[in-house]
Amino acid sequence: MDYSKQIQEIASKLFAENKIDYFVGYKQNSFDDSQVPFLITDPAEIPKLVFTDRSVFNLANYLKPDHTKRKRVGLVVKGCDSRALNLLLTEGQVKRENVYIIGVCCEGVLNDKREKAQNCVECVMPDPVVYDEMLGTPSGKKKYTVNVDIKELAKMALNERADYFESIFENCIRCNACRHSCPLCYCAKCCLDQETSTLYHGANTSSGAMHALMTWSLHLAGRCVDCRNCEKACPSHLPLHLLHKQNENVIYENFQQHLAGMEKDDRGAFYKYSLSDPDDFIL
Amino acid sequence: METEVKEVKEKIVSVENPGITAPNGWQPVIIGILCNWCSYAGSDLTGTSRIQYPPNIRIIRVPCSSRVDPWFIIKSLQTTADGVLISGCHPGDCHYISGNYYARRRFLVTKKLLNFVGYHENRVQFSWVSAAEGPKFAKVVAKVTEDIKKLGPLYRYKKENF
Amino acid sequence: MARVGVFVCYCGANIAGVVDVPAVVQEAKKIKEVKIAIEYKYMCSDPGQQMIRDAIVQNRLTSVVVAACSPRMHEKTFRKALSDAGMNPYMLEVANIREHSSWVHQKDKKAATDKAIDLIRMAIGKSIANEQLHEISVPVTKRALVIGGGIAGIQAALDIADARIPVTLVEKSPSIGGRMAQLDETFPTLDCSQCILTPKMVDVASHPYIELIPYSEVIELDGYVGNYKAKIKKKASYVDFSTCTGCGTCTQKCPVKVPNEFNMNLDKRKAIYTPFPQAVPNKPVIDAEHCTMLLKGKCGICAKFCEKGSINFKMVDEVIEREIGAVVIATGYDLWDPKPYEEYGVGRYKDIITSLEFERMVSASGPTNGVPIRPSDGKVPRNVVFIKCIGSRDEAKGIEYCSKICCMYTAKHAILLHHKVHDSHAYIFYMDIRAAGKGYEEFVKRAQVETAATYLRGRVSKIYKKGDKLMVRGEDAQIGQVVEVEADLVVLATAITAPKDNPALARLLGVSYDKYGYLSEAHPKLRPVETAKAGIFLAGCTQAPKDIPDTVAQASACAAKVCGLFSGDTMKKDPMISTINNEFCSGCQNCVKVCPYQAIVTEEIPLGPGSKEMRIVAKINEGVCQGCGSCVAVCRSMAISLAGFTDPQIINEIVAI
Repeated sequence: MDYSKQIQEIASKLFAENKIDYFVGYKQNSFDDSQVPFLITDPAEIPKLVFTDRSVFNLANYLKPDHTKRKRVGLVVKGCDSRALNLLLTEGQVKRENVYIIGVCCEGVLNDKREKAQNCVECVMPDPVVYDEMLGTPSGKKKYTVNVDIKELAKMALNERADYFESIFENCIRCNACRHSCPLCYCAKCCLDQETSTLYHGANTSSGAMHALMTWSLHLAGRCVDCRNCEKACPSHLPLHLLHKQNENVIYENFQQHLAGMEKDDRGAFYKYSLSDPDDFIL
Repeated sequence: METEVKEVKEKIVSVENPGITAPNGWQPVIIGILCNWCSYAGSDLTGTSRIQYPPNIRIIRVPCSSRVDPWFIIKSLQTTADGVLISGCHPGDCHYISGNYYARRRFLVTKKLLNFVGYHENRVQFSWVSAAEGPKFAKVVAKVTEDIKKLGPLYRYKKENF
Repeated sequence: MARVGVFVCYCGANIAGVVDVPAVVQEAKKIKEVKIAIEYKYMCSDPGQQMIRDAIVQNRLTSVVVAACSPRMHEKTFRKALSDAGMNPYMLEVANIREHSSWVHQKDKKAATDKAIDLIRMAIGKSIANEQLHEISVPVTKRALVIGGGIAGIQAALDIADARIPVTLVEKSPSIGGRMAQLDETFPTLDCSQCILTPKMVDVASHPYIELIPYSEVIELDGYVGNYKAKIKKKASYVDFSTCTGCGTCTQKCPVKVPNEFNMNLDKRKAIYTPFPQAVPNKPVIDAEHCTMLLKGKCGICAKFCEKGSINFKMVDEVIEREIGAVVIATGYDLWDPKPYEEYGVGRYKDIITSLEFERMVSASGPTNGVPIRPSDGKVPRNVVFIKCIGSRDEAKGIEYCSKICCMYTAKHAILLHHKVHDSHAYIFYMDIRAAGKGYEEFVKRAQVETAATYLRGRVSKIYKKGDKLMVRGEDAQIGQVVEVEADLVVLATAITAPKDNPALARLLGVSYDKYGYLSEAHPKLRPVETAKAGIFLAGCTQAPKDIPDTVAQASACAAKVCGLFSGDTMKKDPMISTINNEFCSGCQNCVKVCPYQAIVTEEIPLGPGSKEMRIVAKINEGVCQGCGSCVAVCRSMAISLAGFTDPQIINEIVAI
């Protein structure tokens, strides 16, 4: 999967026609074969743009800081990235006319071990759902499978599972890198940083981390696109996808809608209801 | 109608921490969050009808079950509660038309997530109790109290020891 | 630093008989924010309230906790005590130690006392986070909109107008009058329906405070209580009402004949028509779906003969706007189609009619000049079988509820039949006889005795033709036998239903409706004329089946509510509503989507202080917000707080135990 040339051409055209103020893509890292996000305003930098199966990060994250939604951006998105972008459009954080979207039909990216990443193996929607130009051939929606890790965890005994999660929460240092890297976490002042939250809870304790991670995953429920930006950013290497995939599974099984951001104006399972939602867990 | 919790003779173990046993005479604390128009009114009717139920529940009033943020549940479990009961209007009867429909979705995902990270699934329970269902409220409280008593005191993720 | 006063009530022996009140007071005193804790036998009494007022002043309290009965009982009472002492009335919290402790834990006094102490701790914690709230004043437009011009709408309009409040009455058909205009006589008095209705109709037309807009529909309603904006579509009548004299020549000359809905399609009307002779306004309209001129551009005879030149084929629909403070919905009822009763030959046999068709026949100004006839051959029937509960109380084929009026009007039909056809005989198949109103039981007795009508308790299983008669086979359960009646005419008392348009109208107005389409009242027992949406009221069968006396009573009740709403220059509103903190709002608009009352919109504000660039935030209309908190729970940024139930308040309650 190599679309480096096509992306360079499109970026050149966009700058030449003055359609964008800046472009977001990937460039090679200087010390190994991984790639990093690359924001350019100067067309001279275009030759550094690449796109291969090491283009891992979800670039929709870089649309967050523009609160006025005035700057015109061109960017490259894969399937999952485009869904995050769709949600940002639905939730009023990005203006469609200010974004030029190059959607890539993703064939999966590689992790640091050079294997196909877990979320790509389990990917249900590799094709971009919103784009101005599409690169590659769409392969269509795939069948949903339960994430292998949460399947294993569900089999564990209750207290063993609790021990496992305790070790995760204990190792969280509340650096908030997960929030900063997640495209869908854009609140000007996160609820976990507000006085009402810390006053009653305490910041950097294990129980504080448990509260923070649980609340964060519930705020992403029905919205998370499984791009794994959060896990890559976490300095403690916490398996954050476990919480998100768990919520996604519950939403899939009970509300039949787990793919976040598939359609315009679809905010996700938590912001709608059906008269026939499951009720039998309620006395 | 059985609304009194039977005395349990055997030692009660904290189900999420099997190494910990409850002290003698331990009684669970259950926090109940009830919607004003249906469940709270129903619980008042239970009182007016003098129907007895176990005394472990502490009731907090909210205008609608949709006001309940999962944060309240996590906070309750991390501080004072061994169990939580949330109760609202029956679907279709919400005083604010659609509040309980949204709440219903949040409740299910929150309950499953809490179980996933290591709380027993009976620690947090939900009910629909209408303003006319005084007897039902007593039954619900008795059941939840019975369930929590069997699970033992909650130690996992408590703020004071985590 | 908070200064809390705790007042624990004995409630006679209701609380003190189980809860150790003195011990509770001692425990309360140990809490550092509590400056005074006292007990009294009856806190809600005058001396009790005086104690509270004195304590507030003497101890410079900042909040008050009353531990007594449920806040649903006396919260208002104690709030008034606070405001009388000069304290903001919303600095009160009530700990429910009666319904939630002493009354339900009678056998375990220690547990009840411990629980009472906990509940008071929770209330103290909450009250420390209470904010001073002030009732909101909302301006009010003093004009009422009544939707529907039947007896319910007419009565509501007259009552409101008599209170010198302007009313806009909108009616879908060309004339007001509704179903009552279709009736011959009404039970239990056998008053001539038109005779008691038309004076009211004339009153409506001539009342200085009523604006009657016939042949129109409400197409939009925006806003909130006291401040609605309605859009009304006036359908083109093609007749200039200001010049038309109602002479009726156009109707006489019109060549087109159309089934007459007012007479249940038993006869025909013209394409230019008034629905019935006593119509108000008594001006004709042209039915655009059948007028040859409007469809094909030919004819126009009516215009040629009109001396005043009132006919204008170029007229178009017109949309007008009205500013409204309150709405009364009085859209009446429709009839259930008895088609599913195939075993009765419905649709196959001409001599099976519905009760409203029978009603039109016996009406003096009806299609048969007041004489019931058999539709098949025009002969006057002698044996008439009435079958009740057609569609009503029928889970299998129809609807589950009872239509309430059929038992009474069937008895009435038996009496009317007897008056019109002296040698007739009525057979009435029934399941029950529901005659619960004033004079109702006596009326049914009269029907049975005066007309010698035969009441047969049992269902009809089948109706078949024998020659030119109809054989009605049913059960007489009282003798346990199958019986067959040879009938000349069969009248089915079909169920009444909510108007077919009710769900669409409800969605337009923002009110709820039940599975049958009846509009939902705020509370079935205690608030039967209000809806859950403030300022919108219900009168008549649009809410549930009912007879004329109950309809009129409900309509007058709506008028009373409207007058109450308009009684001041502004309206006072409960301040426990949500507000948005712009600093935290990210403009995601989840709240806009979730609000059941569409009380939230968006607005643009500067990005930062003095900035020229703008960003979007949400804005809550404080007049519409009902304070449910749905928006609070979906706001991920925690930018919304619900006064009276804020996050700090609830969390304080949780950690206080």
